[in-house]
Amino acid sequence: MVRRFTRRSLLSLAGMAAAAPIFEVKPLRGIDFILQNSPTAKKFLIETMPGGVALFDYNNDGLLDIFLVNGGRITEALHVPENFDRANPRYWNRLYRQNRDGSFRDVTQAAGLANVGNGNYGMGVAVGDYDNDGYPDLFVTSYGKNVLYHNNGDGTFTDVTAKAGVAGGGWSVSAGFFDYNNDGLLDLFVTRYMEWDADHNKICGGDWHTYCPPSVFPATTCLLYRNRGDGTFEDVSERAGFTAKKGRALGVAFADYDGDGFTDIFVSNDGMQQYLFHNNGDGTFNECALESGAALTSDGKGLSGMGTAFQDYDNDGRPDVIVTVLPRELYGLYHNDGAGAFTYQSLETGLGALTSGSSGWGVGLEDFDNDGWKDLFVAQSHVLDNVQQIDASLRYKELPLLALNHSGHFERANSGATTPIAARGAAFGDINNDGFMDVVLTTLGGPPMLLLNRGSGGHWLSIMLRGSRSNRDGYGARVSVNGQIRFATSAGSYVSANDKRLHFGLRTAEKATVEILWPSGTKQSLNGVRADQFLEIREPEHP
Amino acid sequence: MIRLFLLAWLAGQSPSSEAMQHIQAGLEARKQHQVETEIVEFRKATELDPTLADAFVNLGAAYMEKGDYGVAITPLKRALEISSDLVVAHQFLGYALLEQGYAAEAIPHLQRVGALDALGVAQIETGQLNEAVASFSAAFSNRPNDPDLQYYLGHASGLLSKKSIDTLLATHPDSARAHQALAENYFVLRQMPQAEKEYLEALRLRPDLPSLHLELGQVYANSAQWPKAETEFRAEAKLRPGSAEAAYRLGAALLQQGKSRDALVELKRANELKPEMPETLYSLGKAAALAGDNATAEQSWLKVVELEKDTSIAAQSHFGLAGLYRKQGKTAQAQHEMQEFQKLQSTIGPPRSE
Repeated sequence: MVRRFTRRSLLSLAGMAAAAPIFEVKPLRGIDFILQNSPTAKKFLIETMPGGVALFDYNNDGLLDIFLVNGGRITEALHVPENFDRANPRYWNRLYRQNRDGSFRDVTQAAGLANVGNGNYGMGVAVGDYDNDGYPDLFVTSYGKNVLYHNNGDGTFTDVTAKAGVAGGGWSVSAGFFDYNNDGLLDLFVTRYMEWDADHNKICGGDWHTYCPPSVFPATTCLLYRNRGDGTFEDVSERAGFTAKKGRALGVAFADYDGDGFTDIFVSNDGMQQYLFHNNGDGTFNECALESGAALTSDGKGLSGMGTAFQDYDNDGRPDVIVTVLPRELYGLYHNDGAGAFTYQSLETGLGALTSGSSGWGVGLEDFDNDGWKDLFVAQSHVLDNVQQIDASLRYKELPLLALNHSGHFERANSGATTPIAARGAAFGDINNDGFMDVVLTTLGGPPMLLLNRGSGGHWLSIMLRGSRSNRDGYGARVSVNGQIRFATSAGSYVSANDKRLHFGLRTAEKATVEILWPSGTKQSLNGVRADQFLEIREPEHP
Repeated sequence: MIRLFLLAWLAGQSPSSEAMQHIQAGLEARKQHQVETEIVEFRKATELDPTLADAFVNLGAAYMEKGDYGVAITPLKRALEISSDLVVAHQFLGYALLEQGYAAEAIPHLQRVGALDALGVAQIETGQLNEAVASFSAAFSNRPNDPDLQYYLGHASGLLSKKSIDTLLATHPDSARAHQALAENYFVLRQMPQAEKEYLEALRLRPDLPSLHLELGQVYANSAQWPKAETEFRAEAKLRPGSAEAAYRLGAALLQQGKSRDALVELKRANELKPEMPETLYSLGKAAALAGDNATAEQSWLKVVELEKDTSIAAQSHFGLAGLYRKQGKTAQAQHEMQEFQKLQSTIGPPRSE
């Protein structure tokens, strides 16, 4: 009998042959951070939601540094106005500078990032050079007030929140810098989860005592700040159309999904429909997820949306959306069909079979094996710390999910992680500059986890954009390398900020053709670009 | 109810003595809702004529009106001693005995008058569960919308089921059926690992027992172990090729894994075996849409919205149709279906996640 091998079975055999894990869990030398989420018997909902991680090069020495957002101290006696004891070093956010030998040094205090304010329970972080001075700035979100830290370029940061006018309020979660009006200045978008405070906390689950589902609390709105270019921002949430759409937003990602030259916003909402804010190009946005097909599952059901990624997974040139959710749902994959339409394709892509029993938070679409297809990585853990008592088939702590992308079909691979963790944030970047994308995860009540890519082969190209007419980070640029597309951004995932360098796996190609559509509208092409290098590309001053 | 019944019954009696005058006085008192006077008058009638069965029945009924069921029993029994064919006396005595907890003694009286609902209750209390289910079923066929009857029929059936299972576990603890029963119990309690263990043991003992693979598949489906669920549903479908449920569940498991073409085959088969099942049709539409068979998808979902109106599955079908039409460029139809979906969402609420 002749056995016929299908593509899938061959992939499976190949997977067996190459069973070595993609990553190796490595200690983060010099990092002693513990994410203090401070769980209590009162089940204050904020306890299960932090915290962010940013991979960015704050001192421009070519090495990625790590910023970690801490929660704060919570006691069962917590009342409004809440005090989270953030002046206590145990609850500081932390900045770790990477040394040449791959170790890290805590520079938090020297950098001026120590005390974020006792009333702020930390959530997430966004990174962007909002003043185009060449040094990445930090925006830290909280339950409480958000903080904008200006990078002074000398290893220190200054809290410029009051001057900038971006403190916000309420419960902010994920945030991101992007240039919505293409004026060359990075604007700021902030998701907010719900109307909640310690005095209005509730406990659910009957005798089980669990965190309550989001529907128990009133919905709220997201914030959009326009960068005036003078160090201040204008809250344009109402004028832009965001106050009309209340939601329970946890994640945000940016891309120009319809190719009209303006960056759009995807917001993952918890326990309801998702939001796709189309940028009308006139300073306003139109929420169009339902009519675009990116709001619900194919069954018309809402999602417990948490993290999100907005990149092109199937190399058709259009950014697609992935949303991480709770078990019994499937991680949502909305394929961009073109003409402003999306189709829910969690089942066809294999994602459904991989994720129906898991809870996902931070998420990234990156080419981890440099084969030219963006793979999927998800930080996983249930939202309820006692879920296993309630449903024996579920787990609070989970292994992260690594799903390799085989021509648009996702298949589980060995991430290298062997210990289940309560992961939340996830940031993606090339920590050791070896041409392979690494991952840093945050874990509730624990240290961050570094998954260092073992580097199994394949050529690559890493591009750092330097805008001139566009914003200096080049956020919003559409970059094509040998036909693969990435949309320049450090946002996405959950409460985290990624390495802004754009990584492309080139498989066997030793040369690349690079095409860039800058937010300014400038088109730029580079031919015969050598593979296996970090390349800074400057936007032409004149188109 | 008792009063109306008695008035009707007594209308056929002819007063012929002083005793009958007291009966009439008692009946007048009843009209005035003077139950104590009723009792006095009927008791006098029984004293004046101890052979007057009517007087004893009325006295018993008056006590029952007052809620003194225990006291009512004696005159009602006396009435039957005088005239054993008095149907109304049997009925009142049956109710009174049942009310006082003498269920076994009540049964023959209730049987005599065909008071099926009360008889069923008495049979439950005496452990005659088969008979109770039969009594309630007979009563239910006459009064299908009676909530008390609906409750008692379900209650009796549940007790009968439990009794049967208890007997099974006690007499054949190592049988496949005993393990199946335990597994079903664990499944209800959402204790899936234990349910899986019991089903596997049952299958080891009786691999060809119908429904075991189906139920084990549902354990796996419940914990999103779709490849294992597929295996079990496939085994069930092989054992019982005529089972629409096995075909449906196999199709659904395949669909969950993105195997849309295989799912389409099974769901079509399920639909042929048992047509016009909304769940099957909805999943068939979904599998067809995924497999690119837009005509079958449209046909299936249109059938669902024809069969179902204000339900979640109807809303989901409208949503599916909206997506289908949108992809086909049929904008007006897509908008119409989306409006129908939103209309249903606003009335029945959004479809819930699993």
